[in-house]
Amino acid sequence: MSAPGFYGVAPPGEWDEPLPGRLIVIEGTDRVGRSTQVSMLKEWLEDEGYAVVDTGLRRSQLAGPGIERAKRGHTLDPITLNLFYATDLWDQLERQILPALRAGMVALVDRYIFSMVARAVVRGVPRGWIEDLYGFALIPDRVIYLDIDVPELLPRVLARGGFDYWESGRDYIGGDDVYGSFVAYQTQLLAEFRRLAEKHGFTVVDARGSVTEVFGRLRHEIADAVSGMKGDPAPAPNGGSPAP
Amino acid sequence: MSIVERSPVGVEAGRLGPDPAPAELAVDAASLPGRLIIVEGIDGSGKSTQIDLLHKWLVGQGYLTIYTEWNSAPIVRATTRRGKRRQLLTPMSFSLIHAADFANRVYSEVLPAMRAGAVVLADRYAYTAFARDHARGVPREWLRRLYSFAVTPTLALYFDVPLEEAMRRIASARAGIKYYEAGMDLGLSEDPLESFRIFQGRIIDEYGRLTEEFGLTRIDATDTLVRQQQRIRELVAPHLEGVRRVEGGDVRDALRAADLTGRYVQLPALRSEARE
Repeated sequence: MSAPGFYGVAPPGEWDEPLPGRLIVIEGTDRVGRSTQVSMLKEWLEDEGYAVVDTGLRRSQLAGPGIERAKRGHTLDPITLNLFYATDLWDQLERQILPALRAGMVALVDRYIFSMVARAVVRGVPRGWIEDLYGFALIPDRVIYLDIDVPELLPRVLARGGFDYWESGRDYIGGDDVYGSFVAYQTQLLAEFRRLAEKHGFTVVDARGSVTEVFGRLRHEIADAVSGMKGDPAPAPNGGSPAP
Repeated sequence: MSIVERSPVGVEAGRLGPDPAPAELAVDAASLPGRLIIVEGIDGSGKSTQIDLLHKWLVGQGYLTIYTEWNSAPIVRATTRRGKRRQLLTPMSFSLIHAADFANRVYSEVLPAMRAGAVVLADRYAYTAFARDHARGVPREWLRRLYSFAVTPTLALYFDVPLEEAMRRIASARAGIKYYEAGMDLGLSEDPLESFRIFQGRIIDEYGRLTEEFGLTRIDATDTLVRQQQRIRELVAPHLEGVRRVEGGDVRDALRAADLTGRYVQLPALRSEARE
């Protein structure tokens, strides 16, 4: 086990102590099936004997309610919105994720900094700024990206309530064609996710097919990510990205 | 080829929301018709008194003047208040939530007003975060990049006051020292007064460094109030050249000319007059 790593400059605090837990992040666009899979993975991990803490965007005690309120008004500029989300993420890191990792738990995070980076970049926020902002983020032991294309995504969106305002990029794409806006937005977003996947060495999991099939693929990857926690303290795959 | 061009429907990405984030974040203030004048200094330095006097003077001179203060964006304030009340804030979350407040005011107040040709007065600016957050251990370099979207002020005044003098002023003017203002979250001392002394001392040191780094103009905050204001007006005046002024003749003149009292007129100018 090595000391925790950060994407940028380490935030204030003592970071010499290795973390015995595992930080596992599931990323992917809206309606890809992420949250369902995370719920199932939590149950499965617990059945396997791992203590799990699960968290995700907007779930911090500090900033969660504020973001929900702000989003309702549709009035926030992208810089402010990202600073709000960064506050939310840091609060969760500090209060939920880090304590869990110190205690030897598995932290299962439903969307981390990458969803925020992808959304911001397609809205014209400079890549350099947003990546610097999230420099305080702890590098996960494993980032799993649920990969899908727009044509395969569409039926899932239509089956579950249709086109969401934000997930169709309505806040920045003009005109009244909601479908067109959704396709354009998701196309840009998925391209950005794939760019991030390459840069940060995500484990890409095919999100097409049935829930059972995807669950099987995810379990396979996560079993690998938590290996070594039970038996001999084999070196943790810290430093983030697994070998390609 | 951009991603948008490849999309099956050919929808082009339009403008961003209310005020777009430009491709490059840093806005060149010199390219905008307005001016930005900011004041900095620790609590008890007297900066708020001075910016208030400056505000009244500018309005009297006919300049369109907008005032904005630290930690005041309505959309962010509830979260900051929640964090302070429940003492949830730590150095990083304190820094991030104040940056959110600042960003919201830059995009919704400062930039639109400067584009409209107003003189924007800001009580505290990014330098407050640079000094305070660094005193809490947040890395300087990260803070500089975080605030790179800030408009560079036309004139930045730093109210330099010795720590003991500031403490004397605060002790006589206020009921008690606030938790975060004293840096109590850092565990520097159990005694709020002692904690305040250590924490604000660090902030003063960092302000000294910032004055060099960003060329802030130092104001001797121990000088008499009237002499400070004189000096400030002398410093501000050259920057007002070519700034838009409101044409003479307001509602009052029109009413007087027509021999009316303005019984039904509800204008901000008249309302504020009534308040005074």
